Amino acid sequence: MINPSEFLNFLREKEFTFATGVPCSYFSRMINEIEMHQESITYIPATREDEAVGIASGVAFGGSRAFVIMQNSGYATIGDALTSLAQLYKLPILLFISWRGLESDHDFPEHSIMGNVTKEALVAYQVPYWELTDENWQLTIEMALTKMEDSSRPVALLVKQGVF
Amino acid sequence: MYGFEIIQELATIMSGKELIVSSNGNISRQVYHYCPRPQIYLRGSMGLPISVGLGLALARPEKQVLTILGDGNLLMGMGSLSTVSYVRPSNLKVLILDNGVYATTGEQGTTSGTLNYPTLLDGFGLPSIVPILKNDTTENVRGKIQIWITASELSVLPALVDTKSPKLNNIPLHPEQITELNRNYNNKLHIR
Repeated sequence: MINPSEFLNFLREKEFTFATGVPCSYFSRMINEIEMHQESITYIPATREDEAVGIASGVAFGGSRAFVIMQNSGYATIGDALTSLAQLYKLPILLFISWRGLESDHDFPEHSIMGNVTKEALVAYQVPYWELTDENWQLTIEMALTKMEDSSRPVALLVKQGVF
Repeated sequence: MYGFEIIQELATIMSGKELIVSSNGNISRQVYHYCPRPQIYLRGSMGLPISVGLGLALARPEKQVLTILGDGNLLMGMGSLSTVSYVRPSNLKVLILDNGVYATTGEQGTTSGTLNYPTLLDGFGLPSIVPILKNDTTENVRGKIQIWITASELSVLPALVDTKSPKLNNIPLHPEQITELNRNYNNKLHIR
């Protein structure tokens, strides 16, 4: 498991000062940690995932950095926020997307179809992505950030159960 | 009073400390043509102007962020009213130009006619200014804009307006240029 405090310090060092999103149980420890340390990274709870992308876009317009937390079910709702805002206006944003609908979610059929097409949906919207695991997580995030900076566009990290 | 006339009035009141986020379609075009440049002219992402304004207000606390949107955009992103009320950045101001139609796409009706803005905004816990009404005098309108723009806290100004949009050319900037122009402009201000 990734230690939430180390994770937040790492992102803070990478100049992230804002986070927003809609929760997933996979991220509950991480969100608790952010909310306990608002002075380091300010967390803004959004009502929808596209709204969260809008907030992160505003932060990027203002010259600061935000990361966004969502389930893959929420990723299914952000197509227009990506294509007609964050990607179109070249706004660098880091997305953490929980990968629901895999084996461990066999009792949650609401996630099964999206779970099957999550990678394809990322490819379809031309969002570069990496799978984040607790091994070498700093390196994976750094690779994603390099792409985010070079392209000045959103990139995504897919997170399975048990990583946070 | 038409929506574009309110934007023209706003342009005469702006002090240079403001940063506008305008919503897709006619409103962005009108802001581009009537207000000092550059501003953040959204072209798509319907429903998200208030969210973009919120993020910008948090990242640029020294600026007054003015978010201008129509009733169609408001209805599509109604949840953002709850988020801004919760976060409450004092430098965010929201102007709603409600003409009751999707004017950009050919004036198809929206469902905004049943909204009661003072009650709605109060219910969301949002500080708001007495709505601008269609038959308000120019002085009246100017006064309400002045109160809104100089408010010391988060503030929403609803305006019920007549439908008519002047024929304006498309904004001659690619969105990447809009981002670039704002970045360069703000960097210059920082250096000064």
